[in-house]
Amino acid sequence: MIRRLSPWSVARALLLWVAALTVTLPLLWVALASFKSPAQLNDPGLVIFNPNLANWARVLEAGILESAGRSAMVAAVTVAISVVAGSMGAYAISAYKAGGSATRFGILAAQVLPPAVLVFPFLTMAYALRLDTTYVPVIFAHLSFVLPVITWFLIGFFDAVPRSLEEQARVDGFSRFAAFRLVVLPQVLPGIGAAAIFGFTLSWNDMFYGLILAPTQETILPVAIAAFNTFRGVELGAMSAAIIIAVVPVVIASFFIQRRLVQGISGGAVKF
Amino acid sequence: MTFRWAMLAPVLTITGVAVGFPLGYALYLSLTDYRLTSRGAPDFVGLENYVFVLTDPRMWNAFSNTAVYVIVAVALQTVLGLAIALALQKQQWARDLTRAMLLAPMFITPIAVGLTFRFLLNDQLGAIPAALRTIGISYDFFGPGNAMITLALIDVWQWTPFMVLLLLAGLESIPRQPLEAARVDGASARYTFRRVVLPLLTPVLTVAVLLRSLDALKVFEYVYATTRGGPGTETETIQYFTYQTGIQFFRLGEASAVAFVLLAIVMTLIVILFRRLQRSSAR
Repeated sequence: MIRRLSPWSVARALLLWVAALTVTLPLLWVALASFKSPAQLNDPGLVIFNPNLANWARVLEAGILESAGRSAMVAAVTVAISVVAGSMGAYAISAYKAGGSATRFGILAAQVLPPAVLVFPFLTMAYALRLDTTYVPVIFAHLSFVLPVITWFLIGFFDAVPRSLEEQARVDGFSRFAAFRLVVLPQVLPGIGAAAIFGFTLSWNDMFYGLILAPTQETILPVAIAAFNTFRGVELGAMSAAIIIAVVPVVIASFFIQRRLVQGISGGAVKF
Repeated sequence: MTFRWAMLAPVLTITGVAVGFPLGYALYLSLTDYRLTSRGAPDFVGLENYVFVLTDPRMWNAFSNTAVYVIVAVALQTVLGLAIALALQKQQWARDLTRAMLLAPMFITPIAVGLTFRFLLNDQLGAIPAALRTIGISYDFFGPGNAMITLALIDVWQWTPFMVLLLLAGLESIPRQPLEAARVDGASARYTFRRVVLPLLTPVLTVAVLLRSLDALKVFEYVYATTRGGPGTETETIQYFTYQTGIQFFRLGEASAVAFVLLAIVMTLIVILFRRLQRSSAR
């Protein structure tokens, strides 16, 4: 069989190739730069050279892994609270129409608040309650945008669960909460997994709140990366290594949730 | 019926503490002369902060910079996003891998993206200006007149995938019948796209543009990573201006007032868009 190559399919393939190169080349170039010596960094076109690990040693010494650990801790706590509260709320909204459309709109509205509005109250409260040396303010600040997103996301997944499932469980003698926890919840577990990973990346990626609210000595990852930009001039090699450390985990995570993300968005967010 | 409220209670409580309370407190701050540096209790000054910021040319400069940024970035993202989503929908070979790869940038922390491009586009050390020089073009990406556009292009790199994600979800939920009908009637591909696909995609497209615009309004990391508002105040965006006023100059009252002016504009935008959306879905 002879496949006819229409100009459209050529244009389509070309577009995807250009897009793929635009996405990958900058990151590959930064990865390359993280193995260069300061002298080699002055030659942007240098591709083949003797790699050295000095930059990597330098970022590890500066405590980048500790910062990553703190970011992971903040993200894990934020996501744990958001998933528990969000799945209960999303179920109430999906199955019982709790609060009507006002709740749905309120959730979306909470998402659009500029961080600049909320950050100063968090800051003054952190000082007033003497919490400014802890991660509590950052976690609350992250909850303000992670919880609405996760709830919104899960509504679509709960919408897809047939109501008869819960009714059957009630007939079998389950309480309402037990029916939710033991019968309905397992049905949306994949959705919860995707929502949790997505929420994790949102928290992991935030710099604005972390910069202002996290303790200055014990920074979270995005702030630590930015520090290579200002501290004693720009340390390009070390900064490149730090960027790669921040990028790799979320890109791997994104590979796993990409398919469900399309589903979650077409279920919850795009429906009006 | 108490069950539904009990289930909703945790979300409402946390949202109340993490959003409702700070929002009210910020409104209070915007009406006082609160400074981080002063020890005494803040004085109530009424609308003084609002009058001050609304007559401050720096704030209007920040607003117009942000407007340019949002319009350039979102317009490019919409066109590119639609093209890529249409291409991806037809893509069969290495389908999941291609999608995952093209969506990857939206998962990267924006500060890392900002620093990557600061480095990549740097006049002396960056690969792109070096490549341009070999073909005889000299272009300063962060120079006067260019910097704001460069920031918008960084936004396009990171957030076109978000557009693709939403539009792909929208394209895949378009019912088959109208497409089949158009094909049976012998409509050309271009006609089908303009008269069948695009109208059906409009609600999703509107939501995508809305979400992207709202997010682009919050731009902070790229400015912080690359230009810090310069050259001059050419790339000072609202979020960066608020950060400077509040954190570097400690004037929380004024900073909160700026934030509320922004919020008022955002809310107006949303209400207008919701109205249009309802009208188009009623048709």
